[in-house]
Amino acid sequence: MASLIEVNDLTKEYKMGKITVPALNGVDIEINEGEFVAIMGPSGSGKSTLMHILGCLDTATQGEYILNREKVSHIKKKKLASIRNQRIGFVFQTFNLLPHLNVQKNVELPLMYAGYSKKKRTKLAKKVIAEVGLTDRCKHKPSELSGGQRQRVAIARAIVNNPSIILADEPTGNLDTNSGGDILTIFSELNLKGHTVIIVTHDAAVAKRANRVIHIVDGLIENGDIS
Amino acid sequence: MAISLKESIYFGFSDFWSRKVRSLVTIIGIILGTMSIIVVLSLVNGINKQTLQWMMERGGLSKITVRRNWRYDNPNNARTYFTWKEIKFIRSLVPEAKYMNPQKNYWLRHSYEDKEYNCSINGVLPDFTKIEEWDTENGRFISEFDVNQSNDVIVIGTMVKEELFGNKNPLGQFITVHGRRLQVIGIMKHRYMKGNNIGNENALSYLNRRTFIPLSTMIHKGTGDDNISTLALKAHDAESAPELRKKLEAIILNLRHGEPVFMIESAQEEAEEMAQSQKTFQIIFFIISIISLLVGGIVIANIMLASIQERTREIGIRLTVGARRRDIFIQFLVQTVLITFIGGILGTLVGLSILEMVSGYLEIKLIAELSMVLIALTVSVGIGLLAGIIPAIMASKLNPVEALRYE
Repeated sequence: MASLIEVNDLTKEYKMGKITVPALNGVDIEINEGEFVAIMGPSGSGKSTLMHILGCLDTATQGEYILNREKVSHIKKKKLASIRNQRIGFVFQTFNLLPHLNVQKNVELPLMYAGYSKKKRTKLAKKVIAEVGLTDRCKHKPSELSGGQRQRVAIARAIVNNPSIILADEPTGNLDTNSGGDILTIFSELNLKGHTVIIVTHDAAVAKRANRVIHIVDGLIENGDIS
Repeated sequence: MAISLKESIYFGFSDFWSRKVRSLVTIIGIILGTMSIIVVLSLVNGINKQTLQWMMERGGLSKITVRRNWRYDNPNNARTYFTWKEIKFIRSLVPEAKYMNPQKNYWLRHSYEDKEYNCSINGVLPDFTKIEEWDTENGRFISEFDVNQSNDVIVIGTMVKEELFGNKNPLGQFITVHGRRLQVIGIMKHRYMKGNNIGNENALSYLNRRTFIPLSTMIHKGTGDDNISTLALKAHDAESAPELRKKLEAIILNLRHGEPVFMIESAQEEAEEMAQSQKTFQIIFFIISIISLLVGGIVIANIMLASIQERTREIGIRLTVGARRRDIFIQFLVQTVLITFIGGILGTLVGLSILEMVSGYLEIKLIAELSMVLIALTVSVGIGLLAGIIPAIMASKLNPVEALRYE
């Protein structure tokens, strides 16, 4: 399989006043297309920073990031927006849905920024909403849904643009065990359909679902190849 | 592929709508600012126009008046009136004056049959009608012949007619004044100045309470003296009036050996002075309106900034799913444009519609012109846009990770 993500000697430093705080200290990762990877580590280990960089939400201080054979580490911010839009789907612990938009509109959001016509947007959104089993909740606002349902809306939004990578940051962190399990099942199904799934978590039970676990401690990869 | 401008505008619009109260408050700020500029400019314009109209009603800009200078305390007791001889001498020195009317007046009882009316009676020359640009409605005014013969004739104002004659035709009837029977030969046109009332009284209605007789009749058959303290002249045009005024001043000062017992005024110069002093007013008022608009602009900027703070997370989410900085910028800009334009247009409409009310309250006519509406709109919309663009730029510069972390 071709390598989808290649990260070489990635470092990230945050400047807080006069002090420079290192978050990543030279990370090397390779993730292939179709993999289901869990990135595990205690809080403050740099796993979220890594996810932000992998998701093109942030840029590294140093090092190389190659996504789909394209070097994105020094790409312009404007271009990053379109990479986020086209190739990456995000799922967050806190769902991050827009509260004043209904389910349908929330899911359509990436399509809007991609410039699809209204007709096409509706069609695509309906399709993915059906995939996560929320067809009857289309016109509901996020506040009218349960946590599990909200996370399913977030997943629908993440996959509506058919991205090559789905990045999830503690996707079950705010859910009870049952709905958390349902969400993880959806991720497994998406992986089976060919999506590359990367989950950032500190929960070993979540990591068990993955084909491979990458441990990160103090901004360094500890154990790169346990399957 | 990217989001179309139309969609960005749609976002901004739905955004604006989902925050009705805040949008409304901001709009009110703009409305007040726009409104106050329009009202203030119309007020200043109205005062200007009204004063000018007043001068036109009272004989135009080429009129020059000579009257007692009450500010001079006259320590050497110089004569404070002209004799008939002096009047004729002055007239001979200013042949360039088109008309001249020396005037004398008394407050006397006028009676007809059993009715009585107290009002001002004025001894005048035929030139009066030319200087005041005011003639008779019925009958005729005093003629050169009446003056030469010192005829016992009288011309009356409409309110005098009303009081003494009611619906009766006064022409040919006799009014008794100071024991003399005077025949009514004319009724003056009714004077009224539109939009210029002081209380219930029109600014010109005092003129309707006057009567006019030949100056010679007043001098020879009335008081017996020829003390004339008021003089009105008319130059050929407004431009030559100041020069004529200067010449008259020199002549009259000379007659009184340098004692300034008379005041000589030209309407043209007064109008110029007035325009000058009103310019100051206009600037002051305008600055006040600009300040109120600036306050409105700061309110807008503040609300926009607050909404960015509050919606940082939303901006983060939008950035995450692929919104470009431009998309965020347009979204915020559309809100501002909507607010300022709606506010500007409503402010104009409200401003124009309350002009009548303000005018009734202040008893000054407010006159709006297109240029004022344009000034008000440009200033309010300009300030509103400026106040909205800066927060829009700030919103578009947010870092997505930071924005998402914001609670």
